[in-house]
Amino acid sequence: MADREAAGAPLPATSPDSAAAEVAALFALVSARYGSRLDAPQLEGVRKAIEAIVDQAHAVRAVRLGNADEPYQTFRPYRADEAPRP
Amino acid sequence: MSLDPVFMPVRELSEHVRARRVSPVALAETFLARLEKIGPRYNAVVTVTRERALVEARRAEAEIAGGRYRGPLHGIPYGAKDLLATGGGIPTTWGAAPFREQRFAEDATVIRRLEAAGAVLCAKLAMIELAGGMGYRQPVASFTGPCLTPWSRDAWSGGSSSGSGAAVSAGLVPFAIGSETWGSILSPSGNCGTAGLRPSYGRVSRHGAMALCWTLDKLGPLALTADDCGLVLEAIAGADASDPTTSLRPYQYAADASPRRFRFGVLAGALDGVSDDMRAAFDRSLDVLRDFGSIEDAALPDLPWEAATRIILQAEAASAFEDLIESGGIAGLTAPEDHFLPYARDAVLAKDYVKAMRIRGLMAREADRLFERFDALVAPGRLTVATALDQEFRGGMRGTARDIMGAVGNGAGLPGLIVPNGFGDRGLPTSLQFLGRAWEENTLIAAGRAYQARTDWHTKHPPVEA
Repeated sequence: MADREAAGAPLPATSPDSAAAEVAALFALVSARYGSRLDAPQLEGVRKAIEAIVDQAHAVRAVRLGNADEPYQTFRPYRADEAPRP
Repeated sequence: MSLDPVFMPVRELSEHVRARRVSPVALAETFLARLEKIGPRYNAVVTVTRERALVEARRAEAEIAGGRYRGPLHGIPYGAKDLLATGGGIPTTWGAAPFREQRFAEDATVIRRLEAAGAVLCAKLAMIELAGGMGYRQPVASFTGPCLTPWSRDAWSGGSSSGSGAAVSAGLVPFAIGSETWGSILSPSGNCGTAGLRPSYGRVSRHGAMALCWTLDKLGPLALTADDCGLVLEAIAGADASDPTTSLRPYQYAADASPRRFRFGVLAGALDGVSDDMRAAFDRSLDVLRDFGSIEDAALPDLPWEAATRIILQAEAASAFEDLIESGGIAGLTAPEDHFLPYARDAVLAKDYVKAMRIRGLMAREADRLFERFDALVAPGRLTVATALDQEFRGGMRGTARDIMGAVGNGAGLPGLIVPNGFGDRGLPTSLQFLGRAWEENTLIAAGRAYQARTDWHTKHPPVEA
């Protein structure tokens, strides 16, 4: 299956400028939501945590997956009259 | 009681109980007294469940006297991490000040299964607040205070199953139940010098356990030996209609498995950042492992094992505690960093979480492929011995250190076993971990038993004065 053969090959890396812009945008979002509760050192801690999250996101985004590669969890429709699983 | 049950493995203790050389009530009284008197020294205990313990112990005693012996946990005291729900008015605090008065109507499935096996619940044990899911970076992260390893007056027990590790290590209970999302059974076992078993994801029902990350949380035993971990796992494993992630695969502990040779692998990157004393202990352990197995280098494909697992953890933890975070209730937590770090989780984008979950399938398949060549991967149990109480620690879950074994093991839902393998800096325990194929707990326990049959580290106990 072509999609599967492509899985795992890396995608091009994100540029540092792009990563910095993403951190700034996400920090603005978090600051807007919670900034009034936080002092300056705490906000700096949040910014560093967002930098780490963006690093992780870029590592994940760099993995090439095929269309058939589903999330590794199972959803099942529910009916009350069926025996519970497992 | 003429026989001293403290620091006696469950295997041995159960023989005395079965033969009625030891009374379950006397056993309960012995360990309740230790929990009440010694537990506070280590900040290891949240609630001593004396009343319930004595009811269960008297029942066990009557049943055994009547010839109704239930098995190796019958009449054996234990403690449970305080994220497992207990009915009867016993608090379940999740280690967090905002939940210190929380009570549930019913027991968690694991507690019910242990009761059915005849075990005696003696204590709810201390833990890092909310199982460490808010991002804590240092030991002062529980409303019961920082938990100490019984091997030192100023070193951390590890977490988040802190009290479970300290209580077993100090002989306050013969075994305990902990939980692991990423490192929370292996860390306290390693710091406290006990055995600890992280079962495969889905092996043990999480019903009634605090949810931190639905696709990462596992429950498992901490005990004095690998063998004891097998005895406990058999009692708590199995499908549960109340937890749809539990597997239909039955589990029976292969306690009588014949000695065999193992194929061990050392995973590339598993020694990154490991301290010199941990590395020296690991090298000595390899010499022991060569006595009953082969050792080869192992490698996995270049995937973002740690980043993907960390994204899943952060996203699910933020959702699990959405109310507490959105309301600002995290300001009531103990660790200062837990007051603000959870807010950053809003930066985990839905698309990235889904991508991580898709990569997880690739991770699971690649890890399984590796185990076609190996029975177990081996590595130092932790990066360092227990950190001092006033120090930040490094860890893979927080992204402050590499932890490829933890990322593969937890990301792919694989079983892990940790056993003590010596002493390092400041006289603190070092440890050895085994990582195995899904559902191969028996293989890991057999390897751990073979290691412990050739070493005596598990027979060394901290100097705990009664």
